Amino acid sequence: MAVDAQPVPRTRSIRRPRFRGKNVTTAALIAPPLLWLVVFFAIPVVLVGLLSVGGIVLFPGDEVWTLSSWKSFLDLDSVYMGLFWKSIKMSLIVSAICVVIAYPIAYFLALGTSKHKYTLLLLIIVPFFTSFLLRVAAWKFILGDQGLINSFFYSTGLRADEHPIPQLLYSQFTVMLVLGYVWIPFVALPIFVSLENLDRRLLEAASDLGASRWQAFRRVTLPLSLPGVVAAFVFIFIPTIGEYVTPSLVGGNKGFMFGNAIQDLFGPGFDWTTGAVLSMFLFGAVLFFTLIFARFLSMRQLST
Amino acid sequence: MSDIAVSKNGLRSLKVFFGLLVVFLYAPLLVLFVFSFNDDSTIRFPLQGFTTQWYQDFLANPELTGSLRTSAIIAAIASTMAVLLGILASLVLVRRRFFGKSGATAFLLSPLVIPYVVFGIALLILFKTVDVFLDQWIGVTIGLSIWTVAIGHVVIFLPYAILVLAPRIERIDERLEEAARDLGATGLRTFRSITLPLIVPAVLSSFLISFTFSFDEFAVANFVVGDKVTFPIYLYSQLRFPTLLPQAIAVAVVVFVASLAIVMVAEVGRRFLERKLDVESEGSTLVPGAA
Repeated sequence: MAVDAQPVPRTRSIRRPRFRGKNVTTAALIAPPLLWLVVFFAIPVVLVGLLSVGGIVLFPGDEVWTLSSWKSFLDLDSVYMGLFWKSIKMSLIVSAICVVIAYPIAYFLALGTSKHKYTLLLLIIVPFFTSFLLRVAAWKFILGDQGLINSFFYSTGLRADEHPIPQLLYSQFTVMLVLGYVWIPFVALPIFVSLENLDRRLLEAASDLGASRWQAFRRVTLPLSLPGVVAAFVFIFIPTIGEYVTPSLVGGNKGFMFGNAIQDLFGPGFDWTTGAVLSMFLFGAVLFFTLIFARFLSMRQLST
Repeated sequence: MSDIAVSKNGLRSLKVFFGLLVVFLYAPLLVLFVFSFNDDSTIRFPLQGFTTQWYQDFLANPELTGSLRTSAIIAAIASTMAVLLGILASLVLVRRRFFGKSGATAFLLSPLVIPYVVFGIALLILFKTVDVFLDQWIGVTIGLSIWTVAIGHVVIFLPYAILVLAPRIERIDERLEEAARDLGATGLRTFRSITLPLIVPAVLSSFLISFTFSFDEFAVANFVVGDKVTFPIYLYSQLRFPTLLPQAIAVAVVVFVASLAIVMVAEVGRRFLERKLDVESEGSTLVPGAA
């Protein structure tokens, strides 16, 4: 190379700093994003933890270094603990139902159609671009006392005026229905991707070896698409378990969730320390579940 | 090939099922659309007649237009910042090997697994702590503002920017960058003349994704918003205590159409550009056909 013909010292002076400089630039490039997340993500979470045990005092009169808020929360009879299990239950049910509904949809898009699959996929993603709040509120206009369904019953005389169907709005069912509505398009995506990446020759091989469609699905397609299913489940579980907006719009008292309790404690309820306890507990629970699912995922991948 | 995956009857029932889902997804949107033209200031059935009044009125509602402007400013700041930080992070994660890389990757993507309510209150506690501290020592407070919302949005949209940008950078032929370096270009020059032009489509699409989501984000903003409310916060207060709800719905319809148009154009443009760039960069590889 031409560079080798240059006097030796000059080559060194060009090469050396460049080589050592590589580590420096790596650090300099990665530092801003890392710092941003340390300052505005990691430190805030640590502060929540500190606040929950009185490690920082934000309001005069708050106790310093105490576990009393944790104790009263972890008490088996505590209202918040009951609310936590109720929310976990609701969120798991919603996630499971969404996955069950989204799977055939993703299957149809990935394996059933050939020409228009991306157009059809776009068709179910488009609703995502409507305001989230209005997608939730639209159900209020459908299920409410003066909503679509009730007024249909009034006008046909099936129900007397001013006697709406009970439980239609402001119930646990409504919250789960709307959460499912909001998240289904998002759930279909990872399942679609895993089915799309499936090697079709495996299915042909299965059928050549005499497998029925059902056997091919159960022994080949389903196991290979499980990572997508688990990813979809996690994708919807994380946002729904911490939801407070949907329950506050369509849940009423019965649809109240753990996230609403947290929001209330930082709002009108005004007990930041208890709110911090609830938040840390929720974050811990989410991490725990995510790790379990991720573990399951990597074990599946190892065995296949 | 597809008849191994699904029988004729199976395909027919899947089609029906898909159609039902589409109806389920679009029916509520249709209800909203109808109410934005309904001549009744309360959202209720039966319908009262057609009007375009709400679309005309919202322009004269300073509270509403102000909230739209605030949301646009926050979305612009947050998505610019998220994309810039995302480019830096993706470059390093794709191109460099260093100690603790898997840990750094996990940390950079970790905002994906925090429930928004927890992150919202965590940010609130951070700003409150800073204020308590500043108040004690120098007697000033910063308080909450559009900046506190933008800061939070950068955190939640940075992982998405990385997820869009990193795969694109991975697909750039590294030999193009090496060639530039061998020809004497500095690192910055190589980035500007080679890498950046090749990732422009991904940069644009990650910017637009962040922008649209930031514009619509409520759960985190709700905790750290200052006196200037964003559009989702205005909308939420209208949904709780409706006074001018049809106007807000009309605006949301406009925003929906606009963001859909932008994203569609961007997505089509990105596909087109990337295909073009792939062809060009493949055409200029040192060993033709090796790629």
